[in-house]
Amino acid sequence: MSDVTDVVTKIFEVHNINIPASRKHLFNGFIHDESNLAAIDLIIQNQNRLMGKWKMKERIADIMGQTVRILNASVGKSYEAKVDFEKWGWNDIKDFEFAGLEEAGLHYDEQTKQITGVPIQSGDIPVQFKFKIKGQEDDEPFNEKIITLIINPDPKSLWKTLESDKSDPYWKEDNVTEFAPINDRHIVVSCKRGRSHANVGSFREDHHAFKDLVGGWSIVVVSDGAGSAKISRKGSELACNEVINYFSEPALLEGFHEFDELVQDHVQNTGEETEKKIKLFAYNNLGKAAFHVHKKLEEFAKSADVPLKDLNNTLVFTLFKKYDVGYAFLSFGVGDCPMAVLDQGIKEVKNLSWIDVGEFGGGTRFITMPEIFKSDKFSTRFDFHIMEDFSYLILMSDGIYDPKFVVESSLPDIKKWKAFLEDLYGKNEDKIRVDLNPENKEITTQLSQWMDFWSPGNHDDRTLAIVF
Amino acid sequence: MRRLPVYLLLDTSGSMTGEPIEAVKNGVQVMISSLRQNPQAIETAFISIITFDSEARQAVPLTDLASFQMVDIKATGTTCLGAGLNLVATCIDNEVAKTTAEQKGDWKPLVFIMTDGIPTDDWQAGLEEFKKRKTAFTVACAAGSGADSNLLKQITENVVSLDTADSQSISKFFSWVSASIGVTSTKVEDAGKEITGIGELPPPPSELNIVT
Repeated sequence: MSDVTDVVTKIFEVHNINIPASRKHLFNGFIHDESNLAAIDLIIQNQNRLMGKWKMKERIADIMGQTVRILNASVGKSYEAKVDFEKWGWNDIKDFEFAGLEEAGLHYDEQTKQITGVPIQSGDIPVQFKFKIKGQEDDEPFNEKIITLIINPDPKSLWKTLESDKSDPYWKEDNVTEFAPINDRHIVVSCKRGRSHANVGSFREDHHAFKDLVGGWSIVVVSDGAGSAKISRKGSELACNEVINYFSEPALLEGFHEFDELVQDHVQNTGEETEKKIKLFAYNNLGKAAFHVHKKLEEFAKSADVPLKDLNNTLVFTLFKKYDVGYAFLSFGVGDCPMAVLDQGIKEVKNLSWIDVGEFGGGTRFITMPEIFKSDKFSTRFDFHIMEDFSYLILMSDGIYDPKFVVESSLPDIKKWKAFLEDLYGKNEDKIRVDLNPENKEITTQLSQWMDFWSPGNHDDRTLAIVF
Repeated sequence: MRRLPVYLLLDTSGSMTGEPIEAVKNGVQVMISSLRQNPQAIETAFISIITFDSEARQAVPLTDLASFQMVDIKATGTTCLGAGLNLVATCIDNEVAKTTAEQKGDWKPLVFIMTDGIPTDDWQAGLEEFKKRKTAFTVACAAGSGADSNLLKQITENVVSLDTADSQSISKFFSWVSASIGVTSTKVEDAGKEITGIGELPPPPSELNIVT
């Protein structure tokens, strides 16, 4: 009864009607009148309904204004995101539906309470979340809130493949894959333009070469033109060709007879003396070849009237020959292209060079730098190794090394090489298998396909040469 | 994979209330959307948002572009730029991977600073800490006449200024930041080289004055 009195008193007060003590009795009688009681009850009911409606309006406005986040999706990638009402404090939502998901390839799954599917279209998708909260009538229309769902494009779809300009004086083919006999073995090489170059229609900067020389020697060369050098594509090509030219001088290889004797000595007596002689031999012969390349690049730069650094390129090469006692390998390297030879049982790996990696990216060395010939380190750029028999001799550019070996410490690790070979043999995302078998007619196609493997952040030119 | 960390150090002091703060939020959103279309950026660029007003906080930790979601930022309080610089230094220590024998470290971070006022704290102390960290480059933007370009010059040689802190100028700044991140991510991937100065970045639009 007291709230009835309160309600009427308050209404009267708002309208400046005060009940003096003398009229209290009369007032009591007034509010106890049955028809008045009914009117007051109606007022209270209406008030409550009004307040309830307002609270609902406020609550809906809160939900509409609330920032909610749904995990970003990506085109082509299976997507699952829980719609967590509890986390968002939406326990009072009694009815809801999503609209606008289908166009993006998604739907809401009632059972798992997830937005799920495989997105087909990228962009900021305005998902309509239609809802009713407790207290709203069933026949009332839904409230509509827009939740933005970010769908990333598939990074693979963003890369363009633009042809390089064939009229450029230093143009070269974007992709080359070759298979040929070499020495008493075979070689398969693939040298491909990286996605970062294809994306803007620029040129392949890697280069390679191989040849059977006189006297039973063979050679494989890889060179990587620096991305920051304007015509490094020409530099790498020149470097490879000039190494081959240098060792193609028949007179030069006659001097290699001395080496044949050294090898015999070395096998019979692995004393320090022969070791020293061999190193000196490598230094004299391969060092001269490297310097020859440097000079030729210098000459070219002069004739083309460009600074030598515009031709910046790394250079690695390995000469090998079969003896009765096994295969001998002589190598030289400047830059970050690994060379390695693996034994028949894939139990041992011998790296044929150390690689120049700077403290941070771009710290590599180039054959165009005169200082490398003067450095104390120059004599350590040569290597010599004898292996009774070998399974693979592998040379690669950093476009392969970076994604597949990542860090220097992987290179002496036979497990990493085993994994690399397994990868070549089909243990990869795209299940592309390269059958390293001379009878394999598809070998170039297979290697070329394998070379296109996807590795985020690694889209440089790729060169891989395998003697097997 | 080597990440390209990008730190945006944004002034959220009271003077940024209204149009400027809305323009900043919008600018970041547009920047992220456009970078998502760049194949190199979407794979390499990682973005962090650090705000400073009466205190500094990392609103978004270093996040890849694909997962990035902008948070709501509000303008309030004073201009503790020093605390902001200090926090960038701490975040670089915690989030940017160093190269070791077993792992390839991240690229050196890019830092973009935007402020519309004069610092109210001991900003030199924060600067001292910040300078101990290696960045590829730091760009500071003086937004409107309330900011002091000469003071920002002490933080970095790369200073740009906006005549007014209106939404058009701010959005131009962010589209230039976006282009700069795009160019840097291409450069690190393609040439394996970091950018070291403003001269290697795309030319800024006319709304941005390079402070020399």
